[in-house]
Amino acid sequence: MPSISTKQFGIVQFVEEDVFEFPNGLPGFESEQRFLCIERPALRPVVFLQSIAQTDLCFITLPARSVDPGYELEVAAEERKVLGLAAAEAPVWDQSLACLAIVCLPTDGSPTANLLGPVVLSRETHKGVQAVRDDRRYSALTPLQSAASEQKPAVPSPVEKSQADRLAEV
Amino acid sequence: MLIIRRRRGESIVIGEDIEIEILETSPTQVKLGISAPKEVTVLRSEIRVTRDVNRAASSSDPNKLSQLVNQIRETESSPTALSPEESTVVLPDEKKSITP
Repeated sequence: MPSISTKQFGIVQFVEEDVFEFPNGLPGFESEQRFLCIERPALRPVVFLQSIAQTDLCFITLPARSVDPGYELEVAAEERKVLGLAAAEAPVWDQSLACLAIVCLPTDGSPTANLLGPVVLSRETHKGVQAVRDDRRYSALTPLQSAASEQKPAVPSPVEKSQADRLAEV
Repeated sequence: MLIIRRRRGESIVIGEDIEIEILETSPTQVKLGISAPKEVTVLRSEIRVTRDVNRAASSSDPNKLSQLVNQIRETESSPTALSPEESTVVLPDEKKSITP
C-alpha cells in the first residue's frame, strides 16, 4: 500500500483508487496532479486536499454549500471533459460530483473561501478540476461569516472591481 | 487605460508580437483570438485571481482550523461531509497534529 509522509497528518496510507487526478493541476500549482481527499470526523465538514507529490502542500476546503447553502455550480464544457461528463449533460450537481471551496486561513485576518473557482471532483472517474467561473456571481474571497456576526448564511460578496474591467474569454 | 473601438474581424497589436483579434461579438460576450509568443502567459483574469488565492491558501494557518470548524458548525446544524465516504481517506482523530 503506497504511503506519503505529510506535514499535517504524518504518514498517510492510501490505495490508488483513493487518488483524484487533476490533469491540469490547479492554477498556480499546475504540476500537482494527484491529490487525496482527507477527512477527520472531528473537523467535519472540512475536507483536506493533500498533494501526493508535494507532501507539504495541503489545501483546506469546505463543501461549497457549507459556505453558501444556495451555491449553484457551473462547469464549462472544457472542464466537463476533464471530469468525464457528457458535454451537453445539463444537471451538474448530482451524486457523482463533489464541489469544494478552497479556504484561505490567514494568520492575521478573516477566513475566506473561493467560490469563484471551486474544486469539482467526480466520484465516478476520480478526476478533479478547479472550475473557475467566468460569470461574476461569486467571489474568490467570499468571507466566512460567523453566526455571531450574521444570522443568515454568508451572502456572496461582489467580486473585485478589477475583474469587472476585464471580460476576456480566451 | 487606453480605450480603442474595434469591430469584428479587426485586431490590435501589443508590442511586436502580440495580436488580439475580435472574432465574435454578442450583447453579452466578446470572443477574442490572441496570438502571442509561447513565453507570454495569457490567462482569463479570474484564473489569475484564483492562482493568487490558491497560493495564499496553500500557506493557511493550521492553528486557525479548529476556530473555523466551530464557526461553520455554528451556522450549520448538520454538517454535510463529502459523502459517500468511500471517496475520501478518513483518518482517525487520535493524531492530534492539527487541532491544537
